[in-house]
Amino acid sequence: MTEAPTTAPPSARLLRALPAQRRRRQLVSRVLSGAMKTACVLSAAVIIAILFAVLAYLVTLGGSALSWQLFTDVPRARGMEGYPGGMANAIVGTGILLALAGTIGIPVGVLTGVFLSEYGSRSRLTMPVRFICDVLAGVPSIVVGILGYELLVVPVGHYNGYAGAVALAIVMVPIVARVTEEMLLLVPTSYREGSLALGATLAQTIFRVVLPAGKGGLVTGVMLAMARVAGETAPLLFTALGSRLMTLDPSQPLPSLTVQIFNYATGPYPAEQKLAWAAMLVLIFLVFLFNILVRLAVRGRHPVGR
Amino acid sequence: MAVTARGMAVLTALILAALIAVLAWTSVPSIRAYGAGFVTGSDWRPNELEVPKRDANGHVIREDGETVKETIPPSFGALPVIWGTAVSSLLALLFAAPIGIGAALFLVRVGRERILRPVSFMVEFLAAIPSIAYGMWGLMVLAPLLQNHVEPALRGVLDIPGLHWLFRETIQVGGSEVARELPLTGRDMLCGGLVLGIMILPIVTAVARDVLRAVPRHQVEGSLALGANWWQSSRHMLRCARSGLLGAVMLGIARASGETMAVTMVIGNNNQLKASIFAPAQTMSSLLANEFAETTTEMHRAALTEVALLLLVMSLFFNVVARLLVVGRSSRGLRA
Repeated sequence: MTEAPTTAPPSARLLRALPAQRRRRQLVSRVLSGAMKTACVLSAAVIIAILFAVLAYLVTLGGSALSWQLFTDVPRARGMEGYPGGMANAIVGTGILLALAGTIGIPVGVLTGVFLSEYGSRSRLTMPVRFICDVLAGVPSIVVGILGYELLVVPVGHYNGYAGAVALAIVMVPIVARVTEEMLLLVPTSYREGSLALGATLAQTIFRVVLPAGKGGLVTGVMLAMARVAGETAPLLFTALGSRLMTLDPSQPLPSLTVQIFNYATGPYPAEQKLAWAAMLVLIFLVFLFNILVRLAVRGRHPVGR
Repeated sequence: MAVTARGMAVLTALILAALIAVLAWTSVPSIRAYGAGFVTGSDWRPNELEVPKRDANGHVIREDGETVKETIPPSFGALPVIWGTAVSSLLALLFAAPIGIGAALFLVRVGRERILRPVSFMVEFLAAIPSIAYGMWGLMVLAPLLQNHVEPALRGVLDIPGLHWLFRETIQVGGSEVARELPLTGRDMLCGGLVLGIMILPIVTAVARDVLRAVPRHQVEGSLALGANWWQSSRHMLRCARSGLLGAVMLGIARASGETMAVTMVIGNNNQLKASIFAPAQTMSSLLANEFAETTTEMHRAALTEVALLLLVMSLFFNVVARLLVVGRSSRGLRA
């Protein structure tokens, strides 16, 4: 069988050899393929466009309203001098809530992760706990807020910061646990075997060898969870409630950036809405600080990691 | 040490048990009082209502020149908020599923290495923005845009027989029903659905990307070798990954149905059941955000907790199904 030498690609040669009807069908199929490919590119473009649309408003509106007063002043009522004031109390409140939530949530989360990764193979609990962690991460945070209300607000008799911190901690635990587990599983088994062979107990091995080796991963999990929790509003609505005063006492209603932003943004006053945009910029900055720290912590350390 | 770690693991598991137990226990009064009627009742009225008393013919009764009033007890029917959650999640999905899966195909099959990293980064960036930021953006940017430009334009386009109900509503004026044109506020079901769609876009994209990446190479290469063009082989790839993609979509629904703050800010917070997506609505979560802190009666709180319980059960269902679908197809992306 001889064939004239040709420079056209094989697909084009095939195409020419087909009867007209099939050629037309091929053409339609090609056009469709090109269109779908374009649609995929456009989808990615839409995502990027949305991101920029959101960020552009945030940076321009928030940036123009940003002032030192935001960080130094407490909210002032309408008609008062210096209205609308600042959000110093909310920034401090968010700090207190995050610190408390971290104190409760990080140990529980990390130890759960350690259990899943280090003791897991020996226990019947592993599968259920892992599954529950995954499911718990998907529970709507407002439902967690209601749990906080029933457990820590109703018995106490009034809204308080501890209830808010516990609700945030519950949101943190599954995230920290699952990331910890994944990161510890990346630590080579030979490390554990080496340590055990030298006569260390399992607990010593975990604390002196495995955890230090997986430190970067642990930091990742904790930071991701902190970033997530810093932006949470729903669990705080019925627990910490919020306050217009500067307060350091978690047994009282505690202000937070997110709740304050929510109240201002949904209110009718332009001056307060502007302040909400500025505070939002601060909040996003805080969230991204956590995220960037994660990136720095895991850079070049693990091939996985987010 | 082993004991502590196991204790913490058990504690974590107990959180879920506590959630279910506490919500169930607190909503007992409402479950007792309303039973199954709770989910089918369309009237959500936490307070007593005074209305003119009517006789059998529907005429207002007057005695001594004064209208006789009667008091209707509070009523708690969750159908409007269940409807709101379902429709807004569905709208979100209509928006996010095609774009998310399209973008995932782009990330897996089209993009070059150089642009993959930034695009992946942006998807994660989008996921890290707090819910309330989307809410504020939706409230102050998207809602006015919808109100002033998009919805009037849609009203013009959709002004065809069969679709008039989209822009009409019947309201109660002085005891009689009046039909009128729906006022466009921009803060409605459509806006809620769109904002939700934007919010679940990152998770749908990320999980779909991981699922597509897990499709064995030879499946795609085989179809290419048989002469398939780009879309034909992509379709084959999507078919191979269909249950994982369904999982991605389910995770999206789970996320959308539980999302609270953003929706509360843009959906208009109206407890009445309205058919049109251009009418303000209410979802289960936004109802909780709006009313829970201001409950005065025990029954109101119990009813709200029952809504929370329904929400929890629903999200557990979606999450469990999604995870069962995605598990084994991709190890990453499960953690959301």
